[in-house]
Amino acid sequence: MRFRFCGDLDCPDWVLAEISTLAKISSVKMKLLCVQVLMDLLGEGIDYDKVSKLTADAKFENGDIKASVAVLTFILSSAAKHDVDSESLSSELQQLGLPKEHTTGLCKSYEDKHIALQEKLRESSLRLGRLEVVSWRVDYTLSSSELQEVNEPTVQLCLQTQGAETGHTETTIVSVSADKFRVLLTELKQAQAMMNALQ
Amino acid sequence: LSGPESQDHLVGEFGRIAVEFLRKGTNPKIYEGAARKLSVDAETVQHGVEGLMYLLTESSKLMISEVDFQDSVLVLGFTEELNHLLQQLYLENRKEIRHILGELTPSLPHYHNLEWRLDVQLASRALRQQVKPTVTMKLHLEESGGDKSAKVLQTDPATLMHLIQELEKALAELKTTHCRRILRNIK
Repeated sequence: MRFRFCGDLDCPDWVLAEISTLAKISSVKMKLLCVQVLMDLLGEGIDYDKVSKLTADAKFENGDIKASVAVLTFILSSAAKHDVDSESLSSELQQLGLPKEHTTGLCKSYEDKHIALQEKLRESSLRLGRLEVVSWRVDYTLSSSELQEVNEPTVQLCLQTQGAETGHTETTIVSVSADKFRVLLTELKQAQAMMNALQ
Repeated sequence: LSGPESQDHLVGEFGRIAVEFLRKGTNPKIYEGAARKLSVDAETVQHGVEGLMYLLTESSKLMISEVDFQDSVLVLGFTEELNHLLQQLYLENRKEIRHILGELTPSLPHYHNLEWRLDVQLASRALRQQVKPTVTMKLHLEESGGDKSAKVLQTDPATLMHLIQELEKALAELKTTHCRRILRNIK
């Protein structure tokens, strides 16, 4: 059976198993659990004390608590990843055995936050060597050991990037002559025009 | 380690220290503390503990039977109670010691996570109006010590298909009769 929220693939066995774990807590508590999981996915952190309180009535052990958080994380992020609308998600989850009240609660939370979720997922997509800071300075060289009267402007560019493999900040300093800089600027403006045409 | 009957008490203490050291690494201060408690000098304690550590690791490494262990220990000329004590120490701890020894093998960095991205190159400084799809991957690796590293790779879709086919062939090897026969015999 193929499910849209699983990317048109079969639903993983563990997800199927943990959906029955979710059915053990009340639908109200499950909706609150969804809220916690969504906060975690959006980078606001998860409050494990609240999670423990929500699952205390159903006497969840540590393993069950982790499994519930994991299955909700999977369902919500996978649905956002594949841009599933909340009605399709609702029908697919009910097919997998999640009770109607639980499904309604989950899908409402999903609908509220799915745009924010997709934005967050877009931000965390693979990017290599992000440009963090650009700073520059224009100097005027008066004289040098080679030539007494140089009289030339140069640009010093300091580029702070995030290393592609290490993830640490790397700093590159380049000095560019006026002519070279003109060429650089023209080419970059052409690239910018192309990017704008695409958006 | 030969001498009066209080050997049993000494060996028990040394044995406890030896196993702790195998778990967490040696700590010379313990030798002095134990020496004071047992009214012997620190060097004796050190030799005793080190001797026991060697006995335990070698026996666990080779997974020797109780009979062979007894025979080996017999040559040291200890009392029967002492031999029995040493055997108990060996049998109770050998599984854990084998687990620790297993972790000492050198290991290669292993898979931790794979991020990927599908891009299409539309233009470059040299050529406009292109359509060139590429898959960019960041392979996150982890070493047994916990060190993390990452490798960035880029490929075109055709090479990626080939890569997938090769990896699937490798997985399929596990299901051949030859491989199954070997795995059955190891288990």
